[in-house]
Amino acid sequence: MRRFDLALPESLEDCLKTLAGKPAGAKLLAGGTDLLPQMKNGLLKPAWVVDLSRVAELHKLAVEGDELHIGAAVTARALELDPRVAGRHASIAESGALVGSVQVRNLASVGGNLCNAAPSADMAPPLIALDALAVIAGPNGRRRVLLAEFFTGVRRTVLGADELLVELVVPDPGARSGGNYLRHTPRRELDIAVVGVASQLTLGADGRCAKARIALAAVAPTPVRATAAEQALQGQTVTPELIERAAGLAVEAAKPIADQRGSVEFRRHLTRVLTRRTLTTALARAGALARASA
Amino acid sequence: MAVMKTTRDIKGVGDPIPRADGREKVTGAVQYVADIQPRGLLHAKLLRSPHAHAKIVRIDTSKAKALPGVRAVITAKDMPQLKKKAPTRAHAVLAIDRVVFSGQPVAAVAADELAIAEEALDLIEVEYQVLPVAVDPLKSMQPGAPPVAEAGTEADTSEALAHSAVALTSSETKPAKAVNISQQATVKRGDVAKGFAEADHILEKTYRVPMVHQGYLEPHAVLAQWDTVGNLTLWASTQGSFNTRSEVADVLEIAENRIKVIPVECGGGFGGKIRALCEPITAELARVSGKPVRYVMTRKEELEAGMPAPQVIIKLKTGVKRDGTLLALEADTILDTGAFSGTVLAVSAVFLGSMYKWPAFEIRGMEVLTHKPSVAAYRAPGAPQTIFAIESHMSQIARELGLDPLEFRMRHLIQEGDPMVNNQPWQSNGAKQVLAKVGEHPIWKGRKEWAASGGKDGRGLRGTGFALGGWLGGLQPTSATVRLNPDGSLNVLTGQVDIAGTNISLAQIAASAFGVDFDQVKITTGDTDSAPLTGLSAGSKTIYTVGSAVLQAAQDARRQTFEIAAKEMEASVHDLEIRDNKVVVKGAPDKSVTLASIGKKGNLYMSKVQPVLGTATPAFSQQAPGFAAQIARVEVDPDTGETTLHDFVVIQDVGKAINPLGVEGQMQGGAVQSLGIAMTEGLMFDDSGRLMNPSLLDYRKLTAADLPNIETIIVEVPSPSGPFGARGVGEPPIVPAPAAIANAVEDAAGVRITELPVTPERIALARAAKGNAS
Amino acid sequence: MKKQVLSCTVNDEAVEVLVRPYTTLLDALREDLGLTGPKEGCGTGDCGACTVHLDGKPVASCLMLAMQARGRSVRTIEGLAKTGQLHPLQDAFVRHGVPQCGFCIPGVLMAAAAVLAENPKATEQEIRYGIAGNLCRCTGYTKMLTAITEVAGASARGEG
Repeated sequence: MRRFDLALPESLEDCLKTLAGKPAGAKLLAGGTDLLPQMKNGLLKPAWVVDLSRVAELHKLAVEGDELHIGAAVTARALELDPRVAGRHASIAESGALVGSVQVRNLASVGGNLCNAAPSADMAPPLIALDALAVIAGPNGRRRVLLAEFFTGVRRTVLGADELLVELVVPDPGARSGGNYLRHTPRRELDIAVVGVASQLTLGADGRCAKARIALAAVAPTPVRATAAEQALQGQTVTPELIERAAGLAVEAAKPIADQRGSVEFRRHLTRVLTRRTLTTALARAGALARASA
Repeated sequence: MAVMKTTRDIKGVGDPIPRADGREKVTGAVQYVADIQPRGLLHAKLLRSPHAHAKIVRIDTSKAKALPGVRAVITAKDMPQLKKKAPTRAHAVLAIDRVVFSGQPVAAVAADELAIAEEALDLIEVEYQVLPVAVDPLKSMQPGAPPVAEAGTEADTSEALAHSAVALTSSETKPAKAVNISQQATVKRGDVAKGFAEADHILEKTYRVPMVHQGYLEPHAVLAQWDTVGNLTLWASTQGSFNTRSEVADVLEIAENRIKVIPVECGGGFGGKIRALCEPITAELARVSGKPVRYVMTRKEELEAGMPAPQVIIKLKTGVKRDGTLLALEADTILDTGAFSGTVLAVSAVFLGSMYKWPAFEIRGMEVLTHKPSVAAYRAPGAPQTIFAIESHMSQIARELGLDPLEFRMRHLIQEGDPMVNNQPWQSNGAKQVLAKVGEHPIWKGRKEWAASGGKDGRGLRGTGFALGGWLGGLQPTSATVRLNPDGSLNVLTGQVDIAGTNISLAQIAASAFGVDFDQVKITTGDTDSAPLTGLSAGSKTIYTVGSAVLQAAQDARRQTFEIAAKEMEASVHDLEIRDNKVVVKGAPDKSVTLASIGKKGNLYMSKVQPVLGTATPAFSQQAPGFAAQIARVEVDPDTGETTLHDFVVIQDVGKAINPLGVEGQMQGGAVQSLGIAMTEGLMFDDSGRLMNPSLLDYRKLTAADLPNIETIIVEVPSPSGPFGARGVGEPPIVPAPAAIANAVEDAAGVRITELPVTPERIALARAAKGNAS
Repeated sequence: MKKQVLSCTVNDEAVEVLVRPYTTLLDALREDLGLTGPKEGCGTGDCGACTVHLDGKPVASCLMLAMQARGRSVRTIEGLAKTGQLHPLQDAFVRHGVPQCGFCIPGVLMAAAAVLAENPKATEQEIRYGIAGNLCRCTGYTKMLTAITEVAGASARGEG
């Protein structure tokens, strides 16, 4: 890495002041698992880095009312293990569990994964499928953005240079809701998604699908929702045939490129397979939770 | 020739003794080059070309030189001894006026801090004129392709000589017909056309294996320092300190005895740390700056600009009768060597045609230059790729003819005395015994049940496969000394870099051969000033050659000891033996002298007794081939192609397991490297010659979560020439897995993958294509 | 780019050292504190050779800046056992002939120690995943699993 100066703010306010005072730009450092490799490869050469380890608010993980609040600096490992991130939110824990290796997960932050905004970001699809909101702090106060609208392009988000992501707010998906995140990787650990799919199904009292969300990673410049597939499920009784149809529609929402991790053909194929599998699991989980709460 | 005997009952040899440096390694006390922190240390960085083929129009280093903390900036202009027609990659220290691979060094910097050195690189201005590239070897070998080498650069065959000692007779070498063909050889016997005409079954396939990196965990690292009178010391991570010394001396044009190479603990080499790479430029930075300079390659540099194994493309055609009688084999084997010649071409030709008895064959081998980083050896160079082709092919023939693949091989397997394709006779080997053990193994025996259990109840498709491979074993002259100390203990000195844990085996050999307990022996690896000339830690030849040297030196020391003792006790040397650290007259146990007394006399002031110093300087002519078979049991996800390896077995003939613990470790480690080639590894270059996966994220090595426990079965068919019958152990286990996996996947999923690695994508798309076709 | 004061605990001892702001925790341990046990195999968190414990949890020290360890507790391989003694994992590794070139070993031992600290009766599968972030090129992992499983089993039986 090239040389740089390091700011060590002790609070969120400190942090925003520091950012405001660096018009040339500064890089925010949480887990460093995306930032440091990019700096070591010379892709990023910031003059200033701002360390977030002491900004307490960013490390909070809490249930408030029926909302799950996940601080931006909460680690993938914490999400993997915390019992509050289970049940209806299981897909979040699943995505956290898949990042890198345990040594990486103990550092990697959900905020970093989202703000780095790689198309393959594992933690994006489950949060999008759960209609999470991104809470952003800036010099003019806070704003909320639906996570599905947070990403604007490859490695680009709605964040301004003087803003930072504070937390994710995950609304209650309902008692009869189940989700699943699956990704395909060539190895079992230390790997990055060739395709990732998160499905979340919420069942109504009549057993039909009240809400469906399907979010895809690594098949477009940003994580995307397969809205046509979602609509096909909405209000219907979810059967294997319907799932297969939805999986086919999800493929149409995917616009993958070919790169060293996979060809276009394989990515489209995987989109179908993983959508089918995650919908099947989401349905089973929703059903189990429905029975448990009945 | 009888198996080499010991001078007493073997004690020590054959025992699974943990290596002596185990404790140092588990506490983090062992020092590698990057751990050495001399005062005044400077850090080196190299500026590398982003283009695979370009003219260097202009380099301006003035801004870099002006950055505070920068102590030296060098380009080719500062090194007049560099040759435009660099004979080897090591000689291409810095590009003079042309770059021939992306990642080739163009300038070098030494600075107070690594971060400053990196910033200095940013300040060096280089103007390139990009030239057309030759990346695909099949295109590069055509006349008219963009030229890679400077006209007249020789094919470098030193790698071939170092590794396999395989020769193809010179009459079979033809002159190159296209500018980028750097080596060519053909072997033939009989009439292949006639053979194909008579065949009932003809199978033609093209097999491809990408370049792979040796994957050692410690990147190349070297520390260089000059003294005030022109002597250079290099602390190097190397597999051969004497080889490093010779190459550096040759490149920098200084005398070999002006250089001392200290072999520091080497964090893995596998063939990739034999040739000089970073040493000359680091030495030069140290000379110019007048300070010690350390250069450690980054992982990105290793992948982009290391010395990987060659890409290999084999077009294989066989003709057999319906009952499986072999008739003819024809093959083209094309080795993509990158920008400098360095493959062991002969190995590919030999293994294609010499495993089984083909009455007629024609094998054409070609080494092709491309604008990519040039290659060096990787554990059994050329063999995994070649065995992938022939062993996939043999199983496919058996499949299509409804023959049992094991019986089919057994029927045609070569035996001792049969001619290889180069007409040399096969030495004694355990191929048959190893193959027989495959047939006895429960995993092979249970393959039908395993297959039947797959594809239902949520399970994937299940299959089993195996393959047979081996290595001929390297040869290199070497030396060793054994010294009796005044207290009766022994010191053994070699220049052997101990990577594989061979030192403990050498100590076991010395102890057994001299006649003392193993813990009386200390073994030392000396530097190039103090140690006797020693060969490379490579080629599976350490125990075979250095073990022999140590054995002979220990026997020599024993002889000298007996002569001194015989004079003293007025006995005949033939009546003496060594027991409990004493030289004893057989049958007269109170007639004895202690080893310590003999040792002391050789060191006492005014003594007339000579010190005991056993020496040996053997050279070798006979190889001891080692064969290994591997069995894979897999489960394949029918939709995603993900392949789970449930069981993996390595059966290997090691001649004599001097240290079974060490031998098992070699078998397991080699097997996992082989599995990496089979399933996940490959350097991927784009059309402009740039590496697309220069990180360990995308250059995938297998993790513990991807693997089962590797089962090892040691077979011992003694070699007539190795110490205690030992054969080389390190290389055979890296050979069979790619074919074993491809065969297992074919058994499970019904698709024959002929391009490595066997990835989920290739399996899934092959199945989809097959499904659409039927 | 002024140096900054890093105050933390390393291997149970309070430490105060001046570090450059752009120094990684790995480099600070190795060069400023002389603890060369943790190694750099890749620098990007993909190989595990740099694994140390941060407040008891295994982390890739090449991905942390040294100053991020301020006020926290770091343990390296040198601090896995008391001086002169061997941790049961270290002892098991020696007896089973695990280390070959040795470069990955400090990282593997720290990862394994963390698995067993969190889950003393870890199964072989859990151990496999616990060290899956540590690449080894020499051993094929089998003897590592044997050694670690043995220690876990002994712990399960209340031994060692």
